[in-house]
Amino acid sequence: MRPTLAVLSGRSAWKGPYFVAFPNLREALQNNVPIKTQARSCTILPNFVGLRFMVYNGKDYLPVQVTQDMVGHKLGEFSHTKKKFTYKMSKNK
Amino acid sequence: MVHVLGVNLPDRQLARFALTHFYGIGPKVSHRLCARLQIHDKCRIRDLTANQITSLTAFLSSPSTAPPVPRFPLASPDFLPPPPSTPVQQLKAPEIPKDVKAKPSGRHNGNRFHADPLQGLKIETDLRREVRENIAHQRMIGSYVGKRHAMGLPVRGQNTQTNASTARKLNRIERYA
Repeated sequence: MRPTLAVLSGRSAWKGPYFVAFPNLREALQNNVPIKTQARSCTILPNFVGLRFMVYNGKDYLPVQVTQDMVGHKLGEFSHTKKKFTYKMSKNK
Repeated sequence: MVHVLGVNLPDRQLARFALTHFYGIGPKVSHRLCARLQIHDKCRIRDLTANQITSLTAFLSSPSTAPPVPRFPLASPDFLPPPPSTPVQQLKAPEIPKDVKAKPSGRHNGNRFHADPLQGLKIETDLRREVRENIAHQRMIGSYVGKRHAMGLPVRGQNTQTNASTARKLNRIERYA
């Protein structure tokens, strides 16, 4: 009954959370420019709060506005890769 | 039948199995609980004393505020047992030297590894509420997990072409079980 490393979700503690260093982090925060990225596995760090991301879902870059509650989750969790099937009537039968 | 905090514990069952009737207590926690309340392995619910049932109720109603477990010091390497002819009244627990403090050593400092494992125990309503809050949190921040809950589908990548009946039954935003 040892408490799990909930923050790291099972990753070794000495490694720390996995994240990608975005070089344009500061200017993105100042100018409120979204950061376009494909790093879906990047952990949302506390200093990402307030940033806007465009996270790739395999097809498009979807906007993600980072809030305080999202810290500790991954960027990819907010950019859904599947869309629900909807039937579309085709014209030419 | 013994009623503890609204849960019926069947008379005939062994105490360590009967305790798993609580939502949030499995075999492991039940075993620890029995050890704490000094209930032996073969004890059945009908054999519990009134005192034990009271202390069980007292502990389960608020595990976080329960009095800490007394720690008895182990014998030091140079301990000599008293001769077997000593009467019981003269036997004493070895005294703890007060000036010696446990030194924090390396990574294992702090109380993390010696923390009381039953301290943060949550059962029944508290645990259900926690689960509900966790789902609501996922839903609120709009993550994949929250979305799958709202759709009533498996969350952790299981197949959905067939089966997925547990998810259809349980995965809701307002989870009832």
